[in-house]
Amino acid sequence: MPAKYLVHTSPAANRFEPITKSGIIAWEEGCLKCAVCVKKRCVYKVYEKRGLNPRQMIDSIDNLCMNCLRCVQGCPRELIHKSISPEYAAMGDDYWSPDIISKIWYQAQTGKIPVSGAGYPGPFSGPGFDSMWTDMSEIVRPTRDGIHGREYISTAVDLGGTEGALCFGEDGLVSGPEIRLLDIPLPILLRMPVSRKISPNIISGWAVAAKRLGTFLAVGAEEMVAAPESCRPFLMPILDGEVACPEGVRVVESTFSAEKDANSFKSGNDARFVCLRLPMNTGIEERVLAAARAGFSIIHIEASPNGSFLDDPGKTMKDGIRAVHLGLVEAGIRDSVTIIVSGGIAMAEHVPKSLICGADAVFVDLALLVALECRLCGRCDMDLPCPVEMDKAPPPWVAKRVVNLIGAWHNQLLEIMGAMGIRDARRMRGEAGRAMFFEELDKSTFQDLGRREEGCEIE
Amino acid sequence: MSLDWVPVVAVFYCKNVPGGGEEERHAIEKRYKGSARLYPIPCSGRLDAIHLLKALEEFADGAYVVTCPHGSCRYFEGNSWAAKRLETVRRLIESIGLEGARVGMVAESSEEPIDLSILTGEFINSISKIGPSPVLKS
Repeated sequence: MPAKYLVHTSPAANRFEPITKSGIIAWEEGCLKCAVCVKKRCVYKVYEKRGLNPRQMIDSIDNLCMNCLRCVQGCPRELIHKSISPEYAAMGDDYWSPDIISKIWYQAQTGKIPVSGAGYPGPFSGPGFDSMWTDMSEIVRPTRDGIHGREYISTAVDLGGTEGALCFGEDGLVSGPEIRLLDIPLPILLRMPVSRKISPNIISGWAVAAKRLGTFLAVGAEEMVAAPESCRPFLMPILDGEVACPEGVRVVESTFSAEKDANSFKSGNDARFVCLRLPMNTGIEERVLAAARAGFSIIHIEASPNGSFLDDPGKTMKDGIRAVHLGLVEAGIRDSVTIIVSGGIAMAEHVPKSLICGADAVFVDLALLVALECRLCGRCDMDLPCPVEMDKAPPPWVAKRVVNLIGAWHNQLLEIMGAMGIRDARRMRGEAGRAMFFEELDKSTFQDLGRREEGCEIE
Repeated sequence: MSLDWVPVVAVFYCKNVPGGGEEERHAIEKRYKGSARLYPIPCSGRLDAIHLLKALEEFADGAYVVTCPHGSCRYFEGNSWAAKRLETVRRLIESIGLEGARVGMVAESSEEPIDLSILTGEFINSISKIGPSPVLKS
């Protein structure tokens, strides 16, 4: 049995004060000037420690407050209030919600799983991945010694395809083409987000993080010069157009058309693995099938950042992955190809849910930027100064934040796999039977409702 | 005055003034680049003396406040408090030898409101005439 894979995390402090969910509003008018004011009785000494952050011009009080609401309840004239910060509510969009962004910040800062208190208030279903419930039937008792205990749970996955059957020669040894696989210790690969301006510092930090995690960073062939030389085996250059393949890499990504086969591409790139990128558009299952038959062993399916089809925002990537997986299973070639999905991977739960739908691994892109305190304000696209001065982020800090985020996601993956009773991430691929899908349940439960059977009409 | 000096002004403005929206803010920042640092506040009454003083201490050659017209504050008296606080700051900086004109306040007019973009340009012009802040030089 191989050594247990563990992501070593260490706290990486925020460079800027994060935007908090709620803020304190304290009115001065009508103050009774009590001898012992509730502000003085604050157990965290928030009112004494407060100050103005001159860099951001914000009061530090909201970041110090622990939301015990003691001052709010204690003030006899009810002059202190807590209210949702409008700046917080305006962050991100419908998919990358403020809660998702702030949880990524927390995980990148601490490397720990965010805990939101007892119980879950809902909602219990929503679009996309939110309409899936994983089967946690193996939770029968509090775990004896946690997710890193004696039970071995492997999160390793293979990139590359295997043959449908082994061939043996006269001498009894395995003959036929050699099976080549790339083994990565967790089903998560890093990826440079498209259409965002990324500084060389950040690329360098991400490359170091990819090396530390033992996974790959997909990065533009032009941008990869910023990465340290030692990280080169952990880079996956994206070769769009006629770009020469850089030396020292093990896998490259291309937008090669599926009409040509993988071997014709490989002739110029010797024994490197080729990952074919296909956009998640309507009819993706047929295109993946054609590409797999043409000999591509790693296929990257790119969905929109909001987890939907690129040509139809009404269709979610969850359904796309399921269709691709089932198409390959029906054709009997599922094991000859590795499916990696990208776009819309915003939370730890999206990793196991993608795997259950049929992906082998996922690319994390926008979350890598959010880990560096990005607020998804889009100011960089408008050539305006970044509120968190992203271009000045030092590479060691960038690497630490990304390792922390992926470490926290890895722990959550272990939690879910432990609760599902699955001990190998490779076994989780396509295990749709171990999950419930809202649409299917809704259909099976309420489909017959209101339908009249023949002969049973009320006179 | 050194030739490569670029004036930096901190503009605190109430979100309810004309041109106080997010899109207008982006346009102003694009137009004046690093010379204008904009701080939208829910009401000018939220402004404290410490905001102006910290801005002058850390990065700004001048700090200005744009408020709603007198008598039209959504929170009734926000702009009149801001005016009082601004006077306190002016007294304080004059007592340490800084020019009083480095801080200022413009109350919008309800009849003929001036766009925030034009006001920002005027602030930058007036600071260009006064020159770089000796606080930042030290």
